[in-house]
Amino acid sequence: MARLVDAKLLYPLNAWFTSAELEDFLPTVLEQGTIDGRLYALGAFESAVVLYFNRDVFNAAGVTTPATGQSWSWPEFLSACAKVRHQGIEPVALHMNESADEWFTYAFSPLVWSGEGRLISTDGKRVSGVLASPENVRTLTAWQQLFRLEFAATDPVDPDPFGHGRSAMDWSGHWMARPHVTDLGDKLGVLPLPRMGDKSFAPCGSWCWGIARQSKHPELAALWLQWVTDSEHGIVPIVRANGAIPARRSAFAFFAEYAHAPYALFRDQLERSARPRPRTPYYATLTQRFAAALRDIARGADVERRLQEAEREIQRVIDRRN
Amino acid sequence: MTTTIRHSRRVAWAFLAPALILLGVFVAWPLLRAAIWSFTNADLLAPNDSHWTGVSNYADVLTDPQFRRAFGNTALFALMVVPVQSAVAFVLALWVNRPEHPWRWLRAVFFVPVVVSMPVLAVLWTMLYQPVQGSENGLINVAVRWLGIPPQAWLSDPPLALPAIAFMSVWQGLGLQMMVFVAGLQGVPRVLLEASRIDGANAFQRVVHVVIPAMRNTIIFVITVTTILAARLFVQPYLMTRGGPGNRTRSLIQLIYENTFVSQDLGRACAIAMLFLGLVAALTLLQRRWSTEERT
Repeated sequence: MARLVDAKLLYPLNAWFTSAELEDFLPTVLEQGTIDGRLYALGAFESAVVLYFNRDVFNAAGVTTPATGQSWSWPEFLSACAKVRHQGIEPVALHMNESADEWFTYAFSPLVWSGEGRLISTDGKRVSGVLASPENVRTLTAWQQLFRLEFAATDPVDPDPFGHGRSAMDWSGHWMARPHVTDLGDKLGVLPLPRMGDKSFAPCGSWCWGIARQSKHPELAALWLQWVTDSEHGIVPIVRANGAIPARRSAFAFFAEYAHAPYALFRDQLERSARPRPRTPYYATLTQRFAAALRDIARGADVERRLQEAEREIQRVIDRRN
Repeated sequence: MTTTIRHSRRVAWAFLAPALILLGVFVAWPLLRAAIWSFTNADLLAPNDSHWTGVSNYADVLTDPQFRRAFGNTALFALMVVPVQSAVAFVLALWVNRPEHPWRWLRAVFFVPVVVSMPVLAVLWTMLYQPVQGSENGLINVAVRWLGIPPQAWLSDPPLALPAIAFMSVWQGLGLQMMVFVAGLQGVPRVLLEASRIDGANAFQRVVHVVIPAMRNTIIFVITVTTILAARLFVQPYLMTRGGPGNRTRSLIQLIYENTFVSQDLGRACAIAMLFLGLVAALTLLQRRWSTEERT
């Protein structure tokens, strides 16, 4: 989206939506669609990643969980993994076999942020000295421990080890909520992602729509956008079909499941602790090269050297357009 | 000029037209556009909004360590694949070159992987190569254990990943080279083979002194085509390793793809594509030179 705005291909949407209407959207939806104070894109649904866990396995291993809505610090998370591993069960599924590069940046950037690091400078034009910062090296070295200690698989084949009863925890998205509720019933528990520092961050973001500058009738496109993001007429049928999280607060009234776990946590995260991924025209390169670095780090690459290599690759692409 | 000649010229053009139009639209025109874009700062989102930048794309590509690495990976892959694939295909061709039913069936068996879609094979071989993960273990690790070799992380260990992909690629492509060799073997003059047999040459001598010289052009053709196919490496590493670990399996084509669709730097992508075209054209010219020598 930032790339399209940078190429001047999108209309700002502010003229077509009242501020009262916009306040009904989840803050992450607006933040993601906004560049330099102007709104360029809106979506009908949002996303979340949480730590699902199996209560039976935790009880057997003697793992205690933090209070509702609270997250584990990284050492607490590793110690829970160790207790589960001791029982002979794979502690956590991280879906490292995911073929889409985006999974890696999406699911693991919150650790970078909670470790007080960044992926790219605030102006979105510099990764040198930012991506391989001491904070990020520390965070990803701690993350690498999961693989070094064999708490998570680097090359899994099973797409859903948690649902198949082969792992105690699942670092996964809202899209697994329905299958997990069906498979585990009362045994299913849910936590926010563990944190590196004091504050836990959550991922967010989903598909969104904008209006092309070439459009001869932007007002008609805006009318369609108002309809598709309308709680009752747009969001409800779409969310019923795809199981994502409604993008507007007023739409939650149509979904009774959001009163309790795991769904309540999704909304809670999006209201309080979710942070959108960087909005930079170089995002596609950033996420792809960062994903390649994360794959290598999981398999034991030197964290600092690998992040510096990714920095050089990404900065070269940025510098060509500046 | 008589009317018949003029008429036959017109007929000739009419027969040539379909091929010329297709070649023009799908080969010559895209090639020309890519060549022009390679000297501009064309952006994939607005390719017509570009301006001339001279040879700066080429200078940038040639000084990029990532380009050198992708070139090196691709060259190393070709060096591993071409000799092994050609030699094994030749031996297999000698073996299956018999008219009886079981041998014809064997030929079909060796040819099957050529027909199966590469993405399917890439997914299958990723599972075969799976490293030990808890209770899970790939079939290849189980097999090498019988040989006393400890299990390996075939696709994620930096020095092993490219050879592992090369091995799978040899297996996949073998059938095609074998079939070309079988066709070549059937063109070896029978009289020469019979004469050498009467002169007392054994099977090995017949292959070295009669079959190989007679198949010179087939062998050069197979080696050239295998080299060009190897240089086009993309699907296997892109699906099996995504170019990793540590960019050790990132190929030239992957670099072109990523420059086009990820960084959307069309001008630079076209410059890499032009360099790649030069490489393949040079290989083809070498083949032509070597094989025509034989005919004169």
